[in-house]
Amino acid sequence: MIQVVDLSFSYTRNKFLENIGFEVSEGEIFGFLGPSGAGKSTLQKILTGLIKTYKGQSIVKGIESKHFNNDFYENIGVDFEFPSLYEKLTGRENLEFFGSLYSKKLRNIDELLEMVGLKNDEDKKVSEYSKGMKSRLNFIKALLHNPDILFLDEPTSGLDPNSSRDMKNIILQEKKNGKTIILTTHNMTDAAELCDRVAFIVDGNIKALDTPHNLIMSKGASKIKYTYLDGTEKTGECLLSLTSHDKKLQELIESNRVLSIHSSEPTLNDIFMEVTGRVLQ
Amino acid sequence: MRIINLIKGDIRFQFKYGFYFVYAVFTAVYISLIFVMPQSWRERAAAIMIFSDPAAMGIFFMGAIVLLEKSERVLNSIAVSPVKTGEYILSKVVSLLFISVVVGIAITLPAGTKNLYASVIGTAFGSAFFTLCGLIVAANISSLNQFLTTAVPIEIISFLPPIMYLFGYDNMFMLIHPGCIIISLISGNSKHLFLLLAILCMWLVALYKVAHKYIQNMFQNAGGVNL
Repeated sequence: MIQVVDLSFSYTRNKFLENIGFEVSEGEIFGFLGPSGAGKSTLQKILTGLIKTYKGQSIVKGIESKHFNNDFYENIGVDFEFPSLYEKLTGRENLEFFGSLYSKKLRNIDELLEMVGLKNDEDKKVSEYSKGMKSRLNFIKALLHNPDILFLDEPTSGLDPNSSRDMKNIILQEKKNGKTIILTTHNMTDAAELCDRVAFIVDGNIKALDTPHNLIMSKGASKIKYTYLDGTEKTGECLLSLTSHDKKLQELIESNRVLSIHSSEPTLNDIFMEVTGRVLQ
Repeated sequence: MRIINLIKGDIRFQFKYGFYFVYAVFTAVYISLIFVMPQSWRERAAAIMIFSDPAAMGIFFMGAIVLLEKSERVLNSIAVSPVKTGEYILSKVVSLLFISVVVGIAITLPAGTKNLYASVIGTAFGSAFFTLCGLIVAANISSLNQFLTTAVPIEIISFLPPIMYLFGYDNMFMLIHPGCIIISLISGNSKHLFLLLAILCMWLVALYKVAHKYIQNMFQNAGGVNL
């Protein structure tokens, strides 16, 4: 669905995006993770055809991004991090207006509003919506014309835990419906849960690209933590792969003195820090 | 069909944001002023009123409209939609042209302007001309202060020669200036109509090309994500 080969771009004479390469398959959720100014926004502009002066290849649905004509946007939906809505129009009026810009058959507005819990607020002006309501309306605006490719930027930002859970379920449902989804986020938990693969972008370069599981397993090591009584409660720790070498643990098991035992894996955030030397959250 | 939807959307936007209300109040004030003026002043006063407001207010209204669209980030969504730059410009021009012509006629009729169709043509061309100027300015600014500092010099350049022309400095060379042609038409002068319209069309084409370039840049800067 998307092929990027040896892509370079800079706004100035200094290097910015350099030798970027990745592929995204149809029906995949692909995540871009990186700090502010890393180049995620610029990369998205290239993929959506807004920046045309790049070097290398950026092919989306078989068409080089710089050669998109306007009809191509019938197949792209973008959910921006900040709401892009007419504040004085109602939720429904916003959907009707933006929907009218597409020639494709639109999805049912009532169903979309129902899906994100806005059906009862459809006739309220957007200026009366809460931040979370605007985010949800913005999200379904991107789904309205049933695009093949969705670009989602921080889709769960500003949502309460329940709405965030609902949003993630909808994203996974869209994937099941065959949509290719490009997710840009700072939220490692969302990325680990939603993305089939993620790319760490720092300083205009992709530092790592793989499935969240592989990244965690290849860079980190699972550990065992245990507690036991030895006068007072004490804690021990060893690598999962070296359990048999931990004499203390063996002794505790044989004497049934283990109070608790837990395995733990590094998080995607830990791996991001290890690979890039940066902190996201 | 998309262009019709865009125009409808722009008219609805202008209505909801109170532009029509403002126009209704101004029109009522202008008509009242026309009626209290001596008969001999009315035609010329109406020409100045129409030129300076329904026709030329496009430059200020367009600044306000685009700044509102920028502040509400709707340009981000339009930039990644099938809307072409030309359609966006045309929609803005037509939506303001519609209201300008209606208000222009409302002021012209009580003033007793002899040549209504020339006045309507002048108002329509004036509205298109100043809306394009407004779009060019608005595409390059991000605050109201920036807009005013850029728009005011354009207003002065656009306004002074036409006022001079209307009050007797009617050298033929003045008719190269689009504002002079517009005010000449608004005041009911249809002499050399096709020549004047041809000159205005050339101005509009040139302005459209400049506006197209800047609006396209505006979309490229608006789209994407600010992270």
